[in-house]
Amino acid sequence: MTLRRTAVTGIASLLGSRVLRRLAEIRPPESLVAIDVAEPPSALRVRHRRLDFTEPASDQRLLELLREEDVETLVHAAFFTNPRRDSGYAHELESIGTLNLLAAAAAAGVQRVILRSFTAVYGARGHNPNFLTEEHPLQPSPALAWVRDKLEAEQHAAAFARRYPEMSVTVLRFAPLFGPGVHTFYTRVFDHRVVPLLMGYDPLVQLLHPEDAVTAFVAAIEQGPGGVFNVVPSRPIPLLTAYHLAAKVPVFVPHPLAYAGADVLWAAGLGAAPGAFVDYVRYLFVADGEKARQRLGFTPRHSSRDALTAYLRYRHPHSAWRPAEATS
Amino acid sequence: MRGSARVVPLEPRARRHAETAEPEDNARGARDGFLVALARLVEAGGAGLDWARLAEAWSAFYFAWHSEEVDEFGYDPKFMRTILPFFEFLYTMWWRVETSGVEHVPDQGPALLVANHSGVLPWDGVMINLAVRHEHPARRECRMLALDMFALLPFLAPLLAQSGAVRANQENGERLLRKGELVGVFPEGVKGVGKPFKERYRLARFGRGGFVRLALRTGSPIVPCAVVGAEEIHPKIASMDWAGRPLGLPYLPITPTFPLLGPLGVIPLPTKWSIDFADPIPMDAYGPQGAEDPILVNRLSEQVRSTVQHMVDSRLARRRSVWFG
Repeated sequence: MTLRRTAVTGIASLLGSRVLRRLAEIRPPESLVAIDVAEPPSALRVRHRRLDFTEPASDQRLLELLREEDVETLVHAAFFTNPRRDSGYAHELESIGTLNLLAAAAAAGVQRVILRSFTAVYGARGHNPNFLTEEHPLQPSPALAWVRDKLEAEQHAAAFARRYPEMSVTVLRFAPLFGPGVHTFYTRVFDHRVVPLLMGYDPLVQLLHPEDAVTAFVAAIEQGPGGVFNVVPSRPIPLLTAYHLAAKVPVFVPHPLAYAGADVLWAAGLGAAPGAFVDYVRYLFVADGEKARQRLGFTPRHSSRDALTAYLRYRHPHSAWRPAEATS
Repeated sequence: MRGSARVVPLEPRARRHAETAEPEDNARGARDGFLVALARLVEAGGAGLDWARLAEAWSAFYFAWHSEEVDEFGYDPKFMRTILPFFEFLYTMWWRVETSGVEHVPDQGPALLVANHSGVLPWDGVMINLAVRHEHPARRECRMLALDMFALLPFLAPLLAQSGAVRANQENGERLLRKGELVGVFPEGVKGVGKPFKERYRLARFGRGGFVRLALRTGSPIVPCAVVGAEEIHPKIASMDWAGRPLGLPYLPITPTFPLLGPLGVIPLPTKWSIDFADPIPMDAYGPQGAEDPILVNRLSEQVRSTVQHMVDSRLARRRSVWFG
């Protein structure tokens, strides 16, 4: 029997690179293909095929590539973790790129596609239940191009899963990553001593340790069934508790001012994210990890607090913050 | 839990590398309470703008009355312990709550407390919680399901979550009951808590029977509960719907003291309260599929409503004074 390969896209991203590294430990490197404009670390000795998903006719090239490499499983992790000002480019890569990828995978007879997604696609809303299950409708703020592109990618995946029942499509909705090596627009808030906080709001948030994220991703690649799964830490943490554990001086801001202020900073090129992201520190978007526990066999090893502590230990080893206590 | 509630001192910047200072620091920190932490915060602020010191003192102050770990709905036992003396004052001195039949609440396992809602602000929920906490032999904690108007209100919402309340919806209620918790609901909702004074003690419609479906699906018994005395704490004479809208409230009440006395108007009147619990109504005989039968759901809902109404009426008939019971 010939060797059927696993291909990974987005290997320059934190999650993509770590998943590739973990796969290279448990599988023969020649069975792995990195599909990216960036090169994989040569030490991994995996195969590399250069492909830009934003180029015209990238689907045709991907189709040829998937056939040549005899790809059985396609892992799609090429998504931006930070909002971008050139939202047109992000749309081409994330929404259209995923559409092309799915079309090529279906035509090439790829058996399984595993797509990286975000719990942010549920949208942070006051009326969300405390634990969002995978069946909950996705209602993110239409003002956020960053979330809209992820949502469209998921919608393409759902449409392909319906149209090609023989192709198994797995969507993993990861909670926001927090931990060693993570540098995103929301972790950067924890790099300042004085932080703005919303007056009168204290939602529970989920911070996912990258180790857990990789474990769940690999579990889905190895034996995961098709479908949508939330990948979340063992327990959420109130946002104010997180700030206080990190020993921040909070400056309380009324929410109308926060939306407007963030928008002004974003427009001026100073802010890290547009104002509509304030929803995510105002309202709940906590997802329920029960389905992943039962069907993927994934049990998170870290809580949100562990992830926060790991991040602070990595990023600010000499600053004052409250260390994790040994729990009995 | 004891370990996680302990106050652990921060390592001050000046002593970061001086390891000999740590044991002494730890011992001092362990004794720090709320007031000590507050004093240290003021001291840090007065010592000039050293952000690091200020941040440490502020963080220590915060954790003097908040846990570092909360449950999955945000319930913070340490915050509850801090605020409990105030609730106990209201329970014993202010409203002199008289409880009867609290032993009808099951000692363990899931159960749904169903009570009448009144009093403009959700004080009745706090008092039911305290009644079960303090007077029930098993000292159970009751997770109240809070209306959206309270559970989504800025400033109040985090306080409710920290004191154990959960936003009322089917998903949250089912999750709590499946964990075997005691859950309290007010099926009247906004129509109950905000009813005009002249309609006091006339129970409004019990929603659309959502609480019965919840009990049927999880097989939890329903314990009817009647609160008397809460209707008079904020007599709602009229309401300004338009003024409540910007705050996300369905109404803004006008009472004899609010908005006339300003912030003093939120002080509730010291009426005499009673909280009565009735025999549990078992739900497991109908099975979970009963939740799909709207006729059954309506019948059970009406049965519970009339039980609570009857308990309220019989208590009112015995009551001679609003203030002294």
